[in-house]
Amino acid sequence: MEYLIHLAILFSIYAMLGVGLNLVVGYTGLLSVTHAAFYGIGAYATAILLTKTGAGFFASIILGMIVAIAVSFLIGIVLSKFKGDYYALGTFGFNTIVFAIFLNWQSLTRGPLGIPGISKPELFGINFADNLNFLILALVSLGLIYFISRFIVNSSFGRVLKTIREDEEAIQVFGYNTLYFKLAIFVISAAIAAVAGSFFASYITFVDPSSFRLMESVFILAIIILGGLANLRGSILGALFLILLPETLRFVGFPADIAAQMRQVVYGVILILLMLYRPQGLIGEYKL
Amino acid sequence: MDILPQLIINSIIAGAIYTLIALGFNLIYGATKFFNLAHGVMAAVGGYSVFYFAKTLGLDIYLAAVIGVLITGLVGYGLDRLVYSPLRKRKASNMVLLVASLGAFTAIQAIIAILFTSQFKTLSQGVGTQRIFEVFGGVITQTQIIIILAAILVMVGLVLLLYKTQLGKAVRAISDDEEVARIVGINTNKVISYTFFIGSAIAGLAGILVGFDTGIEPTMGLSLLLKGVIASIVGGIGNIYGGVFGAFLLGFVENFGIWKISGEWKDAIAFALLIIFLIFRPKGIMNK
Repeated sequence: MEYLIHLAILFSIYAMLGVGLNLVVGYTGLLSVTHAAFYGIGAYATAILLTKTGAGFFASIILGMIVAIAVSFLIGIVLSKFKGDYYALGTFGFNTIVFAIFLNWQSLTRGPLGIPGISKPELFGINFADNLNFLILALVSLGLIYFISRFIVNSSFGRVLKTIREDEEAIQVFGYNTLYFKLAIFVISAAIAAVAGSFFASYITFVDPSSFRLMESVFILAIIILGGLANLRGSILGALFLILLPETLRFVGFPADIAAQMRQVVYGVILILLMLYRPQGLIGEYKL
Repeated sequence: MDILPQLIINSIIAGAIYTLIALGFNLIYGATKFFNLAHGVMAAVGGYSVFYFAKTLGLDIYLAAVIGVLITGLVGYGLDRLVYSPLRKRKASNMVLLVASLGAFTAIQAIIAILFTSQFKTLSQGVGTQRIFEVFGGVITQTQIIIILAAILVMVGLVLLLYKTQLGKAVRAISDDEEVARIVGINTNKVISYTFFIGSAIAGLAGILVGFDTGIEPTMGLSLLLKGVIASIVGGIGNIYGGVFGAFLLGFVENFGIWKISGEWKDAIAFALLIIFLIFRPKGIMNK
């Protein structure tokens, strides 16, 4: 039972990440491979705030979001000038840099040693150190993020995003400054990733740079492409699928480090097979 | 030992390595017009092939290097036949090809880690046995001289191939316009597969040389790929000379950038160079 709750918590964290990334990749058509960077920023914000000051978990979520918004705003100004493969490449490089910062800014992040001993949240006398309570909190957060995202994509703002995806020049002719829209959705998605990061840090109670390397971004991308681009329920489905799938590998009985690498092989092969045979994913509404 | 001559020597060595990566990357980009992210992991394939043949099977080191280069070329060729070629036939978008190459990158890197573990390994025969030369007050090892010579040789060879042979003519025709090339009777699919063989083989050579100079690890491809891509964009994507120019510019900027600050920030400096070029001259130096 504990094990199922553990999987469910991981699922809700990755579902948050997937829903957030789908706003950028699925709805706006910008291939971003840097989601793990903002996920990490949220996680480190929580880790540092909770271990160095007496501030609470919810304050640290806010802080993580603010930092992620600021960082994504700055890099987004540059990225939003591009689309297609140049955009992908820029985000690809940015993830590598943020990882290097986590690794090398030793005075703040303790580098490869990581930050242990992050406390679990407490609110109104409910102790979220109990995993079931934590799961409920994570699911509530996932629900909130899902409905906010659904509101965004169904609003007129969301329709502009989809038009940018289909034909950026056409909507520019109508007087829309697409740069602002691309920047805005990138920042929103980064803020959502930071929330997921805060949950991750608090749940695992330990963060180190290895959780936020480029391969993590590829994993999140695999989630939304498998589930389906431009479909929020698809991202949740994708997260469910890709969290459960490697667990079956565990029962096959590989040693731990080989199992971790096997997972990477599986994600990579899934991406290739999807591109070859079903580029829109399981229930996607948009093909790359 | 003066710092300035050493910095210049280090810059030239770095530039030579990036040249090798950028040459192959540009060759493939020119023919296919998509960012082949799997190009980076080819360096690891080359390095580990030599490790297997020389250290595990005990073959002669030069023979092992030749086999390593050929194997890498074959892996690149096979990847094209299995994944990219079917996608091209289906007129898949660049994004689809990019995601597929990302999947290939992830899978191959993990397979190498499963076969050889993630530990850092070195290809050279033992520490301290390398001959060391002094040039203008700086120090350079025998391997590093070979790296520089290899970069020059490969560049000259590639230019001769492109401008003096039938195959080269076909590659240039495809780079200009694939459809027209096909109309005049060039078997474009076959020629593109050959460019994958040649480009990957060059990347494999780079990986082998890096392995002799410092060492190999499964994740070595990512940073090499980023540097090669940055060099290509800075110099002018798809332009052979541009790639070489960008590679050396990147080598110098990186090595002089860490004159005053710590060496871990090399990647960040390289990325900053990319951002500057993306803002002010996204087509690179050599391209109009």
